[in-house]
Amino acid sequence: MSMNRIILLMLLLFIIEGAIMPWIIPAGFGSRIIPHFVFVAVVFAALYSGRHRALLLGVSFGMLQDVVYFGHLIGAHAFIMGLIGYFTGMLLERRRATLMMAVSIIGMACILYDTAIFFIYRVFRITSETYAWALLEHILPSLFLQLAFALACYVPARRLFEAQTKANPETEEE
Amino acid sequence: MIELFKLMRNKRMFMLMIGFILFIAVIGFSLSDRKELTWPEKFLKDTAAYVQQWFYKPAGYIAGFFEDIRNLRIVYEENEQLRLTAAAYARDKIEYNFVEKENKRLKEELSFTERQKEMYNYNYLIAQVVSVSNDANNRSLTINLGSKNGVRPNMAVTTIDGLIGLVSAVTPFTSTVTPITELDEASPTFNSIAVTILGREDDSFGILSSYNKETSRLLMTKIDEDDKLTVQDTVITSGLGNVYPRGLVVGTVESRQVGDFGLTLTATVELSASFDHLTEVFVVQVPELEDTEQ
Repeated sequence: MSMNRIILLMLLLFIIEGAIMPWIIPAGFGSRIIPHFVFVAVVFAALYSGRHRALLLGVSFGMLQDVVYFGHLIGAHAFIMGLIGYFTGMLLERRRATLMMAVSIIGMACILYDTAIFFIYRVFRITSETYAWALLEHILPSLFLQLAFALACYVPARRLFEAQTKANPETEEE
Repeated sequence: MIELFKLMRNKRMFMLMIGFILFIAVIGFSLSDRKELTWPEKFLKDTAAYVQQWFYKPAGYIAGFFEDIRNLRIVYEENEQLRLTAAAYARDKIEYNFVEKENKRLKEELSFTERQKEMYNYNYLIAQVVSVSNDANNRSLTINLGSKNGVRPNMAVTTIDGLIGLVSAVTPFTSTVTPITELDEASPTFNSIAVTILGREDDSFGILSSYNKETSRLLMTKIDEDDKLTVQDTVITSGLGNVYPRGLVVGTVESRQVGDFGLTLTATVELSASFDHLTEVFVVQVPELEDTEQ
């Protein structure tokens, strides 16, 4: 029941970042501020619900994004989202992250995510920009949007994911 | 080597390796030269676009309302300009009618084939943008016309201001537009576009080869050494090769330089279309011609 609700809310986030955010971002900043709300939700899942769930959500929503916005290659978002979700969960799921900690983790994860995606495109010669330029052009400006979103959604997201874990705790093999 | 096997004994490491191999395989599959998408992709894209169109358009209306209020002040100036343009248009229209009639008569006399006559008779399909990709390196747009409406890959897409991109993939009800900003010589997934200069269509020639994101300018290469191209010239597509339609505005020339080997010139072109807050775009349908004339 609760898992269904989480998936539904994340689908809504996915639609918002593709269809509504382009209108909210002021003209001229369209290619600089880029929303990654679904990814923020995956990191929340890793922090408050466990690494396996984060892996599953990351891979499936990453794949959805790859297929729906297919331009050059499929699989990059799925792999990176799943991987970052899993490792964040592995490092931090036992600790109860506070607001400051959660926000800083999300900030770091966003930089890591954008960097990894950038380098995948670099390896396959789809972009030829330098990393320093990409960092200043879109990675750092969009980081602020992600942080604002994480702050705004911290309380409901934490409640949602923690309720989910309490309802049916994952069976850990360790 | 033994170290590696020890690592492999770790289940997590093993899964990571499997995942990585799978990821490379999927990327390899998607990078290969595919003529058509697979059916799960088509289904997912159509479903997503169907839902997204309920959100994109209302959001556009609300945002547009506030923008309109902001624009109220410049309406007077714009009106003045439009009046001048309308007057010029009325003059040109009369001349155009004469020229067109004459052209038609000459074509009849020279007994042009049906194929030659229909070659430049383009059809503009109006389409709504449904969503914009949230990936900085792949800013593809989705529009709500697909193969059922006659859209094919490689068709040009324009706004009122100018060329914005090419259709890269089609599903039955939607298609994906790769913006012209993804143009890159080195990239394995994009073609270059032949262009010319407005007013000197027969004398000028160049190829749009790549877009420099750092300066946000297009690079036009392979221009002849004694080309009379100057700054502020309007660049339009030339339609040579008959893949892309002719006469679509791309932008204005910003500067010209000597090319890499000193034999040709290059020019930087500023795009005339903007990619933010897009609503309606036009897909330019090139008439389907049977090359076999039996």
